Amino acid sequence: MGRTIVCRCEDVTVEDLNQAFSEGYRDLESLKRYTGFSTGFCQGKCCTAHAARFLSALKGGDDTVADPIRTRPLLHPTPASHFARAVELLDEESK
Amino acid sequence: MAQGRRIKSPEGNPFERGKQVRFQFEGRSLQGYDHEPLAVALMAAGVRVFGRSLKYHRPRGPVCLHGHCSGCLMRVNGVANIRTCETPCRSGMVVERQTGWPSAGLDFFRAVDLLSGERLDHHGMFTASSVLNRIAGYVVRKLSGLGAPPTADPQTPVPISRFSSDAVVIGAGAAGLSAAKTLSGCGHNVVLLEAEEHRGGRLLDGATQNGWERIRDFKEEIESVAGIEIHVKTPALAVYPGDTLQVVAGNEGKTFWISARRLIVCTGTYEQIPLFENNDLPGIFGPRAMDRLVCGYSVVPAEPVLVVGERDATLRLAGRLRELNVTLAGVVTTRTEGDALTSLKRKNVEIFQDRRIVRALGGKWLDRVELAHRSSEQSDLVLDCRACVVEAPPAPAYELAHHAGCRVSFSSQSGYLVQVNDEGQTTHGQIFAAGHIAGSDSVDAAAQSGERAGLACALSLKDDAQVRRRLESMQKG
Amino acid sequence: MRDRAELVIIGGGIVGLSLAYQLARMGMTDVVVLEQGYLCFGASGRNGGGVRQQWSTEENILLAKQSVRMFRQLSREIGHNIWFRQGGYLFLARNAETAAALEKTVKLQNRMGVGTRIISPAAAARLVAGLHTEGIEACSYNSSDGVLFPWPAVWGMASVARQLGVQINTHTRVTGIDVKGREVVKVVTDRGAVATRRVVNAAGAWSWQIARMAGVELPNKPYRHEILVTEPLKPFLEPMLSDLSNGMYFSQTMRGEILGGISDPDEPSSMETGSSFRFLARMCSSMIRLLPRLSRVKILRQWAGYYDETPDGQPILGRVEPLDGFIQLNGFGGHGFMLAPAIGKIAAEWILRKVDHRIFHTYALSRFKHGETRKENFVIG
Repeated sequence: MGRTIVCRCEDVTVEDLNQAFSEGYRDLESLKRYTGFSTGFCQGKCCTAHAARFLSALKGGDDTVADPIRTRPLLHPTPASHFARAVELLDEESK
Repeated sequence: MAQGRRIKSPEGNPFERGKQVRFQFEGRSLQGYDHEPLAVALMAAGVRVFGRSLKYHRPRGPVCLHGHCSGCLMRVNGVANIRTCETPCRSGMVVERQTGWPSAGLDFFRAVDLLSGERLDHHGMFTASSVLNRIAGYVVRKLSGLGAPPTADPQTPVPISRFSSDAVVIGAGAAGLSAAKTLSGCGHNVVLLEAEEHRGGRLLDGATQNGWERIRDFKEEIESVAGIEIHVKTPALAVYPGDTLQVVAGNEGKTFWISARRLIVCTGTYEQIPLFENNDLPGIFGPRAMDRLVCGYSVVPAEPVLVVGERDATLRLAGRLRELNVTLAGVVTTRTEGDALTSLKRKNVEIFQDRRIVRALGGKWLDRVELAHRSSEQSDLVLDCRACVVEAPPAPAYELAHHAGCRVSFSSQSGYLVQVNDEGQTTHGQIFAAGHIAGSDSVDAAAQSGERAGLACALSLKDDAQVRRRLESMQKG
Repeated sequence: MRDRAELVIIGGGIVGLSLAYQLARMGMTDVVVLEQGYLCFGASGRNGGGVRQQWSTEENILLAKQSVRMFRQLSREIGHNIWFRQGGYLFLARNAETAAALEKTVKLQNRMGVGTRIISPAAAARLVAGLHTEGIEACSYNSSDGVLFPWPAVWGMASVARQLGVQINTHTRVTGIDVKGREVVKVVTDRGAVATRRVVNAAGAWSWQIARMAGVELPNKPYRHEILVTEPLKPFLEPMLSDLSNGMYFSQTMRGEILGGISDPDEPSSMETGSSFRFLARMCSSMIRLLPRLSRVKILRQWAGYYDETPDGQPILGRVEPLDGFIQLNGFGGHGFMLAPAIGKIAAEWILRKVDHRIFHTYALSRFKHGETRKENFVIG
């Protein structure tokens, strides 16, 4: 099946964005949640700008509609074992 | 299986291969080199499908080659979802694909893609009856998940290095290297964090003029000044706001938790693949990914290669590929003039003008590409190619600055840029940004903005008449 | 936006939408819902999707039991798959005192027809491969508790309510409530006003602010609660795990991610939703201690939402003095989502058909004045 993929991690297509927009999800945070772009392993590095351009174009080239979705740590997926020992330091610092 | 082709590594290449090593790939013994990423060794050995996507089970393969996307994930030594493009080959490694049934190469669930029509609505799915809903839930759960949970022994918690610094510079590209050098030259201690194994960012690209020499110069300069602590293969993971900024970074064996008085973010951009039908087919790369593969790692994944783009850097890459005797299917561009184009014509590269890419075709790997006239939706030209380099506006890596509370603004042309003033200061007084995330459009501009941000940052740490004069003269120049 | 309505619901989270959805199904559609952000903006879009019947008070057990029954049918009803998976909930007690409390609540749950069991740490390890049971005294397990995806429940209820005629206005912030004597007359927003005689305050963490606009003081305080999610892996964890010693919980979602959070006794009341390294460190340390095989599992993302907390950990429901038409459905802490189906149904029947229910008495605001509070001991996360 020919598909134009916006988000490769979650297989979100241009049709998915169109459908979500037509169902009334017309801000970037809602589009993200409804279609799932930016929720995959790469956390939006390969799709967020595409989705923002898409939304801006659908709203007549209005770039102000594409306020960034709230970015959250981590920037790269990292094993839990890399943070566990910070608890010892937190305890020391709170003393 | 068509193999990738290894070519001779050009003079001065920072990506030197080490000695030969052998690793296990799904029961086969394959060859790679020390310092060579697994993804590259696998492509050289002819492995094309690295995995399957979660929903439609479409084939996936490496795309960005810079540790950003999810195309090259595999199971390595019993741990799922390892980016093989940033994991060097080591002797005895056990590497497996993790998605698809019975295997990623031949995946029966590809039927989902072929049968599900224009789109598969996962929200409305299995809601016709509550009983069906529960059965479907059971089945779907079995199919979900990227890889199996780790079978390797639990990892001992990694040690944490906690310290303070005058300034942390994130990203050792042209902007970050300039900023770090400038700051330390002004007498401040600096921690420079780089996600990749090599410093240089865009300067590492073979298509960047004199990039490799400039990295060597930088290296000498940076090593000659005291006060810069450089950590490579250590991506910054988060910036937590607070009275002092808390920067968290990590590499394989250590986590860094740094209290930074100032931060200069120089994280560059993520390369994007433009939107056209089947743009996710393995064999489609951005220019910087192909550059890294061929010019850096000296592996041609497949030939002939079609290059699509307008920017000088993309056209120069086509020229570089030609010089390295890579078979080109041609160059598709709307450009009609410029040195880079003239040079391609001189090298007898076929140019397809006024066309754009509308569709890629192929089963598990790219076979051919359909082009249309700029003004038309209908394709009027089909080109055979096994690899395609296609350019899109890059996406600035604004996330870390955004975590910390810096304002970011969007434009369709540039994507999300971190807002900075003339001196590179963001809306957060303690954070500066330089290079492509702050709007630079070339390595030279990035280096300059790095120096400017370095000076302004130094001034904000300690007033100094000489530094102020340098900054003023830069602003005038 | 409509300029008058029979009923205005402030808050387009799961509680407000569940009420709107039930009212619409019962035939009352002259309802306007006001949501300040997008759907899923507040706690309803930020929680872990846990649904359990293991509670320490009769009312909560009752509400939870009814909600589980309703969640089982909800995907079909709203045409949105909420992927409700009843993998069970496993509570872990690390000292004799907590173990005794567990035993007491399990007896109460059993009396109310909820089949929770006390099981040994060894039996728990059979349910969860690799569970580190050292230091665990006792466990309680209920196999019909579970987890779901919160977002589609919100979208689906909103979508059905809209189809039936309810107006849901997103990105609409309430700026004032006009009161005349004992009556509400108007809700004012940044996009115009709605004349109405009845207002429901289902604004979650913002409830105390909304109440103040009508001259009512609520004891509710908002607290940040952080949460994280890992890479998605093939299913390996059936139940939700919850460590009662530190309020940590995590489960595996239908997508395969491990998703969970942890209580922080030092968290001050605030409207903060930023992320902290402190949370990341405490959560990672705690989850690895309980399930060492998570050490190599990669953290993808952390975020935060609110608990709208009352002094006794119980919600505030029903009428408030001296206003007649100002109804409270708030103060749910971290368990509003899981109780929302029952709350919506009971509140709709009460509003539309005047069917009384004990929760409007037990959980009335006036309990704080009269000192008739009974604390819920099983607020987690």
